[in-house]
Amino acid sequence: MYGGDEVSAIVLDLGSHTCKAGYAGEDAPKAVFPSVVGSIDQMEVETETENNSGPAVDPKSNSKSLDSDKAKGKRKLYVGSQALGYRRDHMEVLSPIKDGVIVDWEAVEGIWDHAFRECLLVDPKEHPMLLAEPSSNTQQQRERTAELMFEKYKVPALFLAKNAVLTSFASGRATSLVVDSGGGSTTVAPVHDGYVLQKAVASSPIGGEFLTDCLTKSLESKGMTIKPRYSFKRKETRPGEFQVVDVDLPNTTESYKLYSQRVVASDIKECVCRAPDTPYDESAYSNIPTTSYELPDGQTIEIGADRFKIPDILFNPSLAQTIPGVENFAEIAPLRGLPQMVIESINKCDVDIRRELFSSILLAGGTASMQQLKERLEKDLLEESPQAARVKVLASGNSTERRFSVWIGGSILASLGSFQQMWFSKAEYEEHGASYVQRKCP
Amino acid sequence: MAMAFKMATTGMWVTDECKSSFMEMKWKKVHRYIVFKIDEGSRLVTVDKVGGPGESYDDLAASLPKDDCRYAVFDFDFVTVDNCRKSKLFFIAWSPSASRIRAKILYATSKAGLRRVLDGISYELQATDPTEMGMDVIKDRAK
Repeated sequence: MYGGDEVSAIVLDLGSHTCKAGYAGEDAPKAVFPSVVGSIDQMEVETETENNSGPAVDPKSNSKSLDSDKAKGKRKLYVGSQALGYRRDHMEVLSPIKDGVIVDWEAVEGIWDHAFRECLLVDPKEHPMLLAEPSSNTQQQRERTAELMFEKYKVPALFLAKNAVLTSFASGRATSLVVDSGGGSTTVAPVHDGYVLQKAVASSPIGGEFLTDCLTKSLESKGMTIKPRYSFKRKETRPGEFQVVDVDLPNTTESYKLYSQRVVASDIKECVCRAPDTPYDESAYSNIPTTSYELPDGQTIEIGADRFKIPDILFNPSLAQTIPGVENFAEIAPLRGLPQMVIESINKCDVDIRRELFSSILLAGGTASMQQLKERLEKDLLEESPQAARVKVLASGNSTERRFSVWIGGSILASLGSFQQMWFSKAEYEEHGASYVQRKCP
Repeated sequence: MAMAFKMATTGMWVTDECKSSFMEMKWKKVHRYIVFKIDEGSRLVTVDKVGGPGESYDDLAASLPKDDCRYAVFDFDFVTVDNCRKSKLFFIAWSPSASRIRAKILYATSKAGLRRVLDGISYELQATDPTEMGMDVIKDRAK
């Protein structure tokens, strides 16, 4: 047993798009940064510095490299919004998580290091660690996590909690259906008395990032290209007048370009998009008024039907096939929309709890804070659910709470006095090994 | 698997008062309802309020705070379609959206501990606003 009351725990939620980290007991994460890493092959960097004295030896970037990057093996990793915001020659942007599974542990370590050492300024040896994990995390992944945390970071205690359970607790329910729409995927998970019903979990790869890409492609097909911020310089020629000069940077990688484009496109999406009240229909929306958005290079674009069309992809994935450049996205065909996923998931649960699940559907995640999404989902479900069911979709009115519900749930849970005996302690790890995590953190 | 909710049972102690009031309610029918609350400092689940046999469901609804969580047990008397008098006990987990997240999590994680002590509950409800625990919901469930 671990008595963790004295030192506050660290709560870490590594999502597919953003990593949230902070101290337990607080009501919002201290650090929020992209969960992708920039990586440069070490060999190339050296030749680069010899050949030219360009950006690679810029003193600013050097000082940053010292504190925010870790040279590991053959490659150098850059973590955090600041380090990623700076363009470097040959820097690839990698995501350590593919389809909810960690594939690149070295990058994950880089992200954890960044969170502990630069954002929170803590020594992981001194703090118990609560990690949020996807609802369908594999046994092997969990053991690997426990091993890393105890062996490399030497944490005194650890707990792994499921995303869906934390969201459910954060809204005061031990039983609920959690619809978590994040960056990389959307997961529907039923929680009963604090446990995720694994067999009924439904997930789809349609998340915020996919919508962002659809928006980019759709705008491109209409002749509007989004220039990444690094690709031009903006000079003030006369007060109030700007001149945009394109910069030619042939060594920029394709993945970095995509990353920087997404930063802009996701802002457009967050600013203008709104879930339509009824299924999207090309002809009905062709004449709707447009909304303007000013791009970083000063160009103003007008966005019309896309405002509604892009969010509707969540409800009707086949809509994506009508967007030029996305139509051959092979996985689309078998995908179901959000309401179908909810109903399918509920139908896989025991008959006795279906009624309760229908009446407590919780929305969580960044994409779920899209305007009108809650109302639309409730409406669609009312039409498709059994007559006797009382459908109720709940979402926190506060957008921070909605976006960070998983982290907040973990933060409060780890700070409760009644939770302190739940920790998987270092002593237990040493006695029973990594597989004990399955018993301690179900 | 049973470990996860040990946090609930061993973390919070249910006072004897809770058990005895519930037993009186179940066997002697001297209370219409009981409202329980958690005292986080002393880690105790205590009785907040009991309602006499003459009180109604509305009195219970009125005694739940708007901005804090509670547990409640309600004794529902009704007559079935075939004219048979029945009585069912309802357990209500009340966590209004206006309450603090800390309270919500505290009550959600500790529920199992109290439920284990209260033997003989027929139905369980979770409510975040008054419409979710209206009389119609109760009647609907007891059918």
